[in-house]
Amino acid sequence: MVCAQQSAIDTYAITNARIVTVSGPIIERGTVVVRNGLVNAVGANIGAPQDARIIDGNGLTVYPGLIDANTTFGIPIPTASTSTPRAGTITAGLAAPPAAVSSQNSSQPPGLQPEILAADILRSFGDSLETARAAGIAAALTAPREGIFIGQSALINLAGDTPQQMIVRSPVALHVGFTPLGSGAYPASLMGVIASIRQMLLDAGRYREVNAIYARSPRGLRRPEQDKSLAALLPVLAREMPVVMYADREREILRALDLAQEFNLRLIIAGGAEAWKLADRLRALKVPVLLSLNFPRRTTPQSPEAAPDPLRILRERIDAPKTAGRLAIAGVRFAFQSGQMTNMTDFLTNATKTVENNLQRDEALRALTIYPAEIFGVADRLGTIEPGKIANLTITRGDLFDRNRRIAYVFIDGRPVDLKPATTAPPGTTGPVASGTWTLRVNTGDSREASVTLTLQQEGERLSGSLQGDLGSASIANASIGQTGDVRFTAPVNVGGLTTEAAFSGTITGNEMRGTVQIVGRAPGSFTGTRAGGSAPTSARPPQDASSVRQ
Amino acid sequence: MKMIIKKLIAYALAVSVLGVAESVRTHAQQSELRQGTETETLIRNATLLTISRGTLPNSDILIRRGKIAAIGPNLKAASNARVVDASGKYVMPGIIDCHSHSMMDAINELTLSVTSMARIQDVLNPTDVDLYRALAGGVTTLNLLHGSGNAIGGQNTVVKIKYGRPVTEFIFPGAPPGIKFALGENPKRTNFLQLPGRERRYPATRMGVAEVIRDAFVRARDYKTAHDEYRAAAAARSEKTLLPPRRDLQLEPLVEVLEGKRFVHAHCYRADEIVMLLNLADEFGFKIRTLQHVLEGYKVAREIAQHGAGASIFADNWAYKVEAYDAIPYAAQIMTRAGVNVSINSDSDERARRLNIDAAKMMKYGDLTEEEALKLITLNPAQQLGIETSVGSIDVGKDADLAIWTTHPFSVYSRVETTFVDGEIFFDRQQDIARRAEIQLERAQLEQAEPNRAPAPGPTPASTPRPRANSY
Repeated sequence: MVCAQQSAIDTYAITNARIVTVSGPIIERGTVVVRNGLVNAVGANIGAPQDARIIDGNGLTVYPGLIDANTTFGIPIPTASTSTPRAGTITAGLAAPPAAVSSQNSSQPPGLQPEILAADILRSFGDSLETARAAGIAAALTAPREGIFIGQSALINLAGDTPQQMIVRSPVALHVGFTPLGSGAYPASLMGVIASIRQMLLDAGRYREVNAIYARSPRGLRRPEQDKSLAALLPVLAREMPVVMYADREREILRALDLAQEFNLRLIIAGGAEAWKLADRLRALKVPVLLSLNFPRRTTPQSPEAAPDPLRILRERIDAPKTAGRLAIAGVRFAFQSGQMTNMTDFLTNATKTVENNLQRDEALRALTIYPAEIFGVADRLGTIEPGKIANLTITRGDLFDRNRRIAYVFIDGRPVDLKPATTAPPGTTGPVASGTWTLRVNTGDSREASVTLTLQQEGERLSGSLQGDLGSASIANASIGQTGDVRFTAPVNVGGLTTEAAFSGTITGNEMRGTVQIVGRAPGSFTGTRAGGSAPTSARPPQDASSVRQ
Repeated sequence: MKMIIKKLIAYALAVSVLGVAESVRTHAQQSELRQGTETETLIRNATLLTISRGTLPNSDILIRRGKIAAIGPNLKAASNARVVDASGKYVMPGIIDCHSHSMMDAINELTLSVTSMARIQDVLNPTDVDLYRALAGGVTTLNLLHGSGNAIGGQNTVVKIKYGRPVTEFIFPGAPPGIKFALGENPKRTNFLQLPGRERRYPATRMGVAEVIRDAFVRARDYKTAHDEYRAAAAARSEKTLLPPRRDLQLEPLVEVLEGKRFVHAHCYRADEIVMLLNLADEFGFKIRTLQHVLEGYKVAREIAQHGAGASIFADNWAYKVEAYDAIPYAAQIMTRAGVNVSINSDSDERARRLNIDAAKMMKYGDLTEEEALKLITLNPAQQLGIETSVGSIDVGKDADLAIWTTHPFSVYSRVETTFVDGEIFFDRQQDIARRAEIQLERAQLEQAEPNRAPAPGPTPASTPRPRANSY
């Protein structure tokens, strides 16, 4: 639970902070006053009210609370197992019926019930909300998890004592996926999925027509059956409610565009990995994209038996961080979403990669704040720091798009929420930072010296990186860093023509690292190293605004 | 005589086109690489297997705006024309595969016995590498059929293999729509596997398959009547109190079949079932356009010819299930002699690459002439698909869908040098070879990039078989 929620304090002032309002110019040193859940005042010459709890914002940057544009945050996972059947056989798709969310007295089977509301099944607690808040996210569009007509989403704040408190707007959009039903019932193929969407939209059109005729003169006409599934599609057919269709590949987006055009729907694309290939058409039709930051990367280890990845896959992985910049140049409106990523710390890490791949820094920020607010019709409440708006704030140490930034505070509805300790730096300290390129001298345990370049990336307590040099090249594994700078990792190394496992254990002090190494089958060795450049590297690209990292 | 007039018209067109071409030369040059149709192409000095008019030695083909503009010896082309010297080589029309499941993101909608609402056109994947391999086998047109898991399957799509282009450019212009039917083991056995909580799907016998089809057409006939009556009543009465009947995407394509607007491509094996389906079609007053596989068709060749159905068969593929035991390699010859239009199809991404050899086998078995054998993979499937005015032979005015072969395509040593679709090159062996080093280099660079690097060693990755449903 969110302890701060029980606190009686409802006025806060963040003073001496750099404030990126998004609505206006950046305030290099100013104050944000939050009262009763709303932004009360913001500016360079604002005094903190008497009753406010003061947060010293020295070295901090205040942003509007980040919005994740498509999630299942707070939506419970169905209980029954929905194991994937073996593909390529006639049994494909014939798994046990999943316990999908089901609506009462519906004319349609689970998975084809557009009347399902995220707001009705939302929970105000759970890991998904906690990890998202720790990643700096204050609000999100959330939708049910499964189905073809998945249901209607809600725009929620990620903290609240009850689900009702969390909801900012509901319903926002009807969500449509193209994954066949896992129940073994029709439709069990992509063709059937599209055919059933088409049939239901046609049926809804007739439902509207028949009900209008009956309303004019009920006498002498057999009354039409009530059907809440078809009724739920009427706002969509009337273009009052947008339709979010899940589509990543070029051909998937084309199918969504064609379907939306056929029924004159207000389309939003979610996923959008290859949206840049259709940028002209998306711009012309004013179709926004909820662009996933869950970038693909190779997950299979090296194996001589495995077929090499197709060129197309290799290209896709390189292209993923470039899509946002390409869409921005083409004039396609987009907002960032986490795309069901397993590690939410990738959310800002990958947003940073889009900035490193040609997306303007302020455009990236807008895609996390005001653009999703506009797309979901809540720009009057969220998306910027302006008096009267909901006091959702994401407060960082270091620029949001710097790889070394930390989330210091997240305010939701005017209150700071607990962040997971693992990813929270205590205010005023930066902690040991391991990121950078290190030059190591390694004594491999047989009095021989090897020269190795170690590249490290730190995210909280997690480390990733690679080794290259006299010991061969490999990614490191089992890597971690503690509060006092003790580093551990393992890596396959090549010594004397044999590849074996080596376990490194050491301590970082400033720009120096020293420790011991245990190579399998050898006597214990040691290593020393220094960091190239003498400091943790910042991103290669110079900052777009004056927001260089404040340490 | 007609030919000469045609040629004169072609030359007249050429002159006028050249005039335009002069003024927009820069634009044409800019888009030349992308829009090969802008440029003339002259294939010089080849042996032409025209299909319609025999073999023409030492002849040229002039391609203009994607069409065959002229055929004959020593043709003249514009100065900027692309000239392909095909001396010693053979040119034949692009092969037409009348039964394919390439470039489909879904093959079967297995749940129901009548899935006529499913459309192949909704699930096309233009990036399927099998398309490129088919081009390398001289194939330019595919009939993409729904699988055979249902008595009445989904709607098919005929495509030209414009590999690398947006999917919309693949759709064969003006090809009549069709639908897949299936008889026998596949539609009746599909749900033999009993799963908890699931009922076995009807039908489970061949009788049941016939009943499902008859029932569907009875429903389609009633549906048509209901809509016709509504339209008539709505036109007659001014008051707006008439409730419109529901549109049913399952029955609409079947109404089109009844109206003769949609071709039926029926998967079948046994002679008794073939006759059953022909009788059922006669009963409802529609035609079966093609019988697919039709392994026992040779037993009822006269009945098939009498109905007017085409037969699209395998050359020598059989005994892969019980109902496929009575197949013989003489089927093409026997049915051809009985007056049936016969084609040879692949039903396989792999066999699609060597349909020329499958056609050649039909000269070994039976006594088909070279031209008759060539027709099995060109003009005959074109007629079966209703696209014979555009493709299937080398004739002036037809689409320039052509393949240049190193020697006669019936030789096992023959291979494709260049494949044209609408006058554009979509496969070229020399270009392919030249690009390999470049691709290797790109791969090496891509593999170095961080997202493509392998994570630390772990267990062996699971094998990744291609998910393809049973499609026979």
